[in-house]
Amino acid sequence: MLDYYNVTELLSTEDRQIQNAARDYLDSEVLPGIKGWWESGEFPKHLVPDFGEMGFLGSNLPSEYGCPGVNNQSYGLIMYELERIDSGLRSFASVQSALVMYPIYRYGSEEQKKKYLPEMAKGNLIGCFGLTEHDGGSDPGAMKTNARKDGESYILNGTKMWITNGNIADVALVWAKDESDTVRGFLVPTDVPGFTANKIEHKMSMRASVTSELVLEDARVPASAILPESNGLSAPLSCLTQARYGIAWGALGALESVYEDALKFAKTRSTFGKPIASRQLVQDKLVDMVTDHTKGLLLAWRLGEMKDAGTMDYNHVSVAKRENVRAALKAARSAREVLGGSGITLDYGVIRHMLNLETVDTYEGTRDVHTLIIGRHITGENALV
Amino acid sequence: MSLNIIVCAKQVMDPETPLSAFNVDEAAKRVVPAQGIPPVVNGFCENAVEAALKIKEAAGDATITVISVGNDFVMDVMKKPLSMGADQMILIQDPAAENLDALGTATVLSKAIEKTGEADIIICGQQASDWDNAHVPLGISEMLGVACLSEARSIDLGDGTVTVASSRSDGYEVFEAPLPCLITVNNEIGQPRYPTLRGIMQASRKTPETWTLNDLDLSESDVSPALTLSELFVPASDRECQIIEGEDEADSGRLLALKLREEKII
Repeated sequence: MLDYYNVTELLSTEDRQIQNAARDYLDSEVLPGIKGWWESGEFPKHLVPDFGEMGFLGSNLPSEYGCPGVNNQSYGLIMYELERIDSGLRSFASVQSALVMYPIYRYGSEEQKKKYLPEMAKGNLIGCFGLTEHDGGSDPGAMKTNARKDGESYILNGTKMWITNGNIADVALVWAKDESDTVRGFLVPTDVPGFTANKIEHKMSMRASVTSELVLEDARVPASAILPESNGLSAPLSCLTQARYGIAWGALGALESVYEDALKFAKTRSTFGKPIASRQLVQDKLVDMVTDHTKGLLLAWRLGEMKDAGTMDYNHVSVAKRENVRAALKAARSAREVLGGSGITLDYGVIRHMLNLETVDTYEGTRDVHTLIIGRHITGENALV
Repeated sequence: MSLNIIVCAKQVMDPETPLSAFNVDEAAKRVVPAQGIPPVVNGFCENAVEAALKIKEAAGDATITVISVGNDFVMDVMKKPLSMGADQMILIQDPAAENLDALGTATVLSKAIEKTGEADIIICGQQASDWDNAHVPLGISEMLGVACLSEARSIDLGDGTVTVASSRSDGYEVFEAPLPCLITVNNEIGQPRYPTLRGIMQASRKTPETWTLNDLDLSESDVSPALTLSELFVPASDRECQIIEGEDEADSGRLLALKLREEKII
C-alpha cells in the first residue's frame, strides 16, 4: 500500500494480513479483467461467490451469522483494496455489506438475520438498497414510496432511482413510508409480482457496476418482510453512515492506483531528453497526490479507531467521505493530465477511476451535503433545509 | 486414523524484489534485506501447504503442523500457512540459525520433526527461491530414514501408503511408498489457496510455538556450516535491450524468431 507515513505500523498483524490477502487475490484474479468489464459495461457477477469465500461480504458483522467478524480497520482496508481495482466492485461490496446486511443485522428480526446473513456473506444472495427516488437523493425524507397494510401483508408502491445491484439482486431492501408516515425497511424478494428493475444504460461512470431503477406496483410482501426495528428515517441514514465509512477508505485505493500510474508514466516518459518526472510542474502534481493520500489515510485510520471504540458519529464520517473522495477525484484528474494523450485510453486505469469517482463524489451524500452536515454540527445552524 | 502431516516452510526475501533494491554485502558475504520490502513465505513452501490441505481434505482426519527455522521471523508473513488452514506452527528461532547451510537446516528440521512425534507425511517445497539449492528435503529424508518422492504433481493417499506422480522433463513417473515418507512439491501440485478473512481470523487465535536449538538437544557446533561460502557478489550485467520492430505484430514476431535463431537461443 502507498503509505508515506507508515500508517501500516498502526494496524494489527491481522489487519495487515487481511489487506495483503485481499490485494494478492484481487491483483491476480480480478485486476486483469477489469478493463474489459468496464468497457463492455458488465458487472463480473461470477466473482461474487469468490468475494464471499474471501470474506469480503459483511466482513465486519459477527461470525454467528456466518460473517468473518473482522474489525473496522480491516473492513476499511478491504474497501480500499476493492476500489484500488475499481469503484464499481467496492460499490457492490458496500451495498451488500453496509446497506443490506448491516440493516438486517441492526434492525432485523432473529429469523431475518438467520435467513439472509449467512447466504449473503457467501455471495449466494445479492441485495440492493432502495432509498433514493427520482425527485432528489439528498432529501430522502421526501420519499413517495409507500406501504399500505392489507391483512397480514403490505402493498408497496413507488419508484427508486440510482440503485446499485438493482438488476442482479435477489432481495431489495426498500424504504417506504407506512400509513403513519413512518419510514420502514421492507425486505422485498425481487421475484414478487409488481417488482421490476430497469437497468440504467449509457453510463459513462461505474460501468463495471449495475445501476437500476426499481419500480414497485402493488408489490405485496408479508408483514414478516418488515425490518421490525426500523422506525423512521434515522434507520436508513445509519446505514449510509456505514457505507460512507467504507467509501472514505475506498477512495484512497483509487487514489493510490492513479498515483502509481502517474508516477510510473512520469518516470518513463521523456520530453526534451529528460523524463517528465524531472519537471517541477509534474512533481507538484505527484506531491499533491501523495500528500492527499497521506492525510486521507490518517483520517481513515483514526475514523476506524473511533468506529471500533464506538465513538464515531455520522458527522465524523462526513469529514472523511467529503475529503477523501474529492482528493481522489482531484488526483485522478491530475494523473490524467500527467499521462497526456495516454490518459484518455483504458490502457491505463486513470480515466476509468476518474470517471468512476465522479459518481463516488456524488453518491452517498454529495460534497455539498457533507459540507452542510458538518456545518450544522459545528454551528448548530441547519443550512440543509 | 488421524494423519500427522508436517510441512517445512521457509521465510525468504521476496523474489519479486526489484533488481535496483537487491544488494549484497560482499565483505560479510550476505544478502542485505531490501528496505521496505517484506519477506514472503517461499513460493514452493506455499505449494507444500496447499498439498497438505488437499491431503487433509481427502483424508478427513489430519493435523497439519508447519515447521520453520530461522532467526528473523516476520509474523505477518509466517502466519500465512495458518491462515490458509494449517493447524499449528512451530518456529525454531535461534541466533545460531542465522547462517545455517543446508546440512544444518536439515539437521534442525529433522530433529524438530522427530520431537513432534509420529509424522506420517512430510511435505517440503522442492527448493527455496533464495539460494535454489534443493538440498534440504533430501537431507531430512536421509536423516529420518524415510523415502523421498520428489516433484510431486499429484499425491494420492492409500492404506498406509502414498502414490505420487513425479514430474519429469519428458512426462511423469508414478511411485508408491509406505508411510512415513517425504514428498517435495513445486507449482505443479496446484496453486496455493488465498488466505480468507475467516482463515486469518482463525489463525489470529493460534500462537506459533517457539523452540530453540536447546529444545532440540542441539548446540551451535552441531549445526555449524559444513560449506564455506568463498565469495558472494552481484554479477555485472551487460544486458542490452533491442527493440524488434516489424510492419505489424506478425511481422515483429517473425523478426524476433529470426533474431533468436541467429543468436542460437532457439
